[in-house]
Amino acid sequence: MILSNEAQKSVEEYLSTLRARLRGVKEQDAQDFVEELRSHIQDKISTAGEMTPSAVERVLTALGNPEELASEFKTNTLLTKTEGIKSPARVLSILLHWASFSVTGLFTLAGAIAGYFVGGVLFVCALLKPFHPHTAGLWAFRDETGDLNLSFRLGAASPPAAAHELLGWWIVPIGLLAALVLVLATSQLALWSARKFKRSNVLA
Amino acid sequence: MDSGERQQWSGGKWEVQLRKGCLELAILAVLWGGRLYGLEILKRLEDGSNLIISEGTVYPLLSRLKALGLVNSEWLESEGGHPRKYYVLTKSGKQRALELASIWTRFSSSMSKLLGPLSGGNK
Repeated sequence: MILSNEAQKSVEEYLSTLRARLRGVKEQDAQDFVEELRSHIQDKISTAGEMTPSAVERVLTALGNPEELASEFKTNTLLTKTEGIKSPARVLSILLHWASFSVTGLFTLAGAIAGYFVGGVLFVCALLKPFHPHTAGLWAFRDETGDLNLSFRLGAASPPAAAHELLGWWIVPIGLLAALVLVLATSQLALWSARKFKRSNVLA
Repeated sequence: MDSGERQQWSGGKWEVQLRKGCLELAILAVLWGGRLYGLEILKRLEDGSNLIISEGTVYPLLSRLKALGLVNSEWLESEGGHPRKYYVLTKSGKQRALELASIWTRFSSSMSKLLGPLSGGNK
């Protein structure tokens, strides 16, 4: 297939826009998708019989806007990744990918990190109680301004002098259970919003 | 006048969603006969139906079907000199096609029954 320079340039421009918009997609998948569309364009041009710039332009127009194609590709693979139960690491990697092209994704990522962090603190606190029975746990104390503070302490340092412990040994079952519930709820909520985003972007 | 226009517009949107919803089954059905590459799939969809809104949409959907394990793909050299990406149904893709087809058949026959009274009415 011999194209005029001008026609060749518009094909390359189309494909490089597409490639640029696929940032965040796994290198090999992105490459594969771009090559597939290149093959489509080559086939269409050679069956059209004429290789004038305007014929090439028609082929590209029929294919659709490269920005939209890239975002459809990203949201489609995002949706398949949210099906089924996922570990927090998996959820965070999906959200990281989502955050790379959407503000909603960025906020969801921040919320999920906060949820997992608090869940992690609860979990570690419950685990450390048997090793630091007098210092680990949930403590309440008043600071200099008289405000009541709640603090999860892992037992490395002594709690403030006037502090008193709230849960005692109950921190172990309550902490573990609360950590589990929080982590699962964070995952579900994050994946739910990713799916919702997906749906509104694919179908709207 | 104004409300008529709005009605038409929302009817168009409904139709687009309906087509998008059917596209997955249509692609699986087209692949039932054997291995095809993207443009062939596209041509069969265009010949057999008016499901295609924009040519490009079929490619992200094929990637999705692949990610779901419903199709496999491989690159093969063509006579034209450039490689083409061929798709073939997997075992679970065939299962999914049969499942969706039976849902479709049940759904469309009950829908036709429901719509029966409308067919004589309007004109």
